[in-house]
Amino acid sequence: MILSLVKADFLKIKRKGMWLLCLIGPFGVVALQMVNYGVRKDYLFEQMDDRWLYYILNINTFTPLAIVLGIVILTSFMASIEDETNAWKQLVALPVSKRAVYLSKFTVVSCIVFLSSVLLFLFMFGYGLTLGMGEDIPYLRLMEYSFLPFFAALPVLGLQLWVATVSKNQAIPVTLGVVGVILAYSASLLPDWVIWKWPSLSNEWGHSYINALLGIGFGVFVYLLGMIDFKRRDVK
Amino acid sequence: MEYIVETKHLTKKFGKEEAVSNLEMKIPKGEIYGFLGPNGAGKTTTIRMLLGLMRPTSGSVQLFGKDMKNNRIDILKNIGSLVENPSYYPHLTAKENLEASRKILNVPKKRIDEVLQQVRLHGVANKKVKGFSLGMKQRLGIAAAMLHQPELLILDEPTNGLDPSGIIEMRQLIQSLPEEYGMTVLISSHLLSEIDQMATRVGVVSKGKMIFQDSIETMRKFAQASIQVKVNDNEAAWRSLLANGQKADLEKESVTLQAEDDGQVAASIRYLVQQGFSIYRVQEEKRSLENIFLEMTKEEQSG
Ligand SMILES: Nc1ncnc2c1ncn2[C@@H]1O[C@H](COP(=O)(O)OP(=O)(O)O)[C@@H](O)[C@H]1O
Ligand SMILES: [Mg+2]
Repeated sequence: MILSLVKADFLKIKRKGMWLLCLIGPFGVVALQMVNYGVRKDYLFEQMDDRWLYYILNINTFTPLAIVLGIVILTSFMASIEDETNAWKQLVALPVSKRAVYLSKFTVVSCIVFLSSVLLFLFMFGYGLTLGMGEDIPYLRLMEYSFLPFFAALPVLGLQLWVATVSKNQAIPVTLGVVGVILAYSASLLPDWVIWKWPSLSNEWGHSYINALLGIGFGVFVYLLGMIDFKRRDVK
Repeated sequence: MEYIVETKHLTKKFGKEEAVSNLEMKIPKGEIYGFLGPNGAGKTTTIRMLLGLMRPTSGSVQLFGKDMKNNRIDILKNIGSLVENPSYYPHLTAKENLEASRKILNVPKKRIDEVLQQVRLHGVANKKVKGFSLGMKQRLGIAAAMLHQPELLILDEPTNGLDPSGIIEMRQLIQSLPEEYGMTVLISSHLLSEIDQMATRVGVVSKGKMIFQDSIETMRKFAQASIQVKVNDNEAAWRSLLANGQKADLEKESVTLQAEDDGQVAASIRYLVQQGFSIYRVQEEKRSLENIFLEMTKEEQSG
């Protein structure tokens, strides 16, 4: 049941520009560093002995912002596809459980954001190679800063999807999302417990995997809350 | 009798307002059930509960003899539905729209072409639904509802927004379903003429209450002519008729005889004359179904 729902949901996002968004996000994040390194490469190379690490950290200043913004847009799109002609009623009147309907939406958004992370890895790696920062390519760090932000952002995904699916008006999740994007960009000013800080991978212990684990744990929790609430409510 | 749809004490409250109250709907197999009521009567709310889109405040819904609460998915496998305005994905083609449902219903791909043919949209199968007229969207909705050849088809005001030829087409399609596919159909409308032309059974709902539920023939019987008698003292005449065991209703300026044939009318009049009443007028009043429907819903509103 869930597989056919996911297939149907992938069909529904056709021509909605969501795949383009999936590409633009990671490309944009790397493109900003293309400009940065294009203009003042020599200066940037002197900032840290480990040039690769410095490059990756530069990329990571914008990754959280892009990932949170992407989640806001994608979840809101997913909901608005059903909202537009109130297709929720037609969807839920099919022989499917409401839990599966919700899980399917979550799965599709997660897949797209994860694919963005894969693209981020490729772009970051590819452009890094052209900069000539040495043969010692830090594959693990590249993966860390490509994939962990995705896991750390799962609570934001869960929250945005929840608000987007139960709101009658998409202005509510989008407003929440804009606040989230600002918070994600000001991560360094926030205490560790704020979920929008997590995609930046920084915390007082200095271990990025903590954010990813917290993200998965709390993400599952928020997902379950959203799913239970969606199931409990009358269909819009 | 075996009922495809049976609700018991079905009630839905929005805040304090009861949109559906104590509704007992019974639909036998193979019928076209016309669910009739003015706007805001609670038809859509009832249908939403039948489909499990809304939870009843109290009461129960049984479909195919199974309880909706515990068998929702099983039940929905045998139901096709179109609730209120048609839902569709405007950026997808007609075919893609049906494909989105087909994937979930897990029926063979050829069904898509079959239902498109049935609602005569095969010519625009690959066009985006965005550009469709309301009637075409409505037909697409019906096509989607019939994809899995359900045993029960639930259509909420399916002719809303259709032009006259569209309405006729829709009617022919709906009427053919019980015979050709053994389907049971529930169709709601606020227009009696529509139900009159299609339905085999009727349920009339007003202010959330079922005020009439029977075969269309029984409903038509109500439409038979009634005899109005104007007498010097209407109330006394009415009492004396009742005392004599004859059915009659007291109106403002007349007495209405509930007579089944001419003989009964003659007997009543003779009796009144014998009792010494002066009879001014005896007239026949033909009541249209429309009038009955209006009366039924009006009584409910004033009561
Ligand atoms: N989601 C809702 N919230 C509050 N009131 C509602 C809702 N849906 C319907 N109603 C109210 O319930 C009553 C019945 O509505 P509805 O079932 O749509 O009637 P019908 O389909 O017969 O026109 C109306 O008074 C309507 O305002
Ligand atoms: Mg309605």
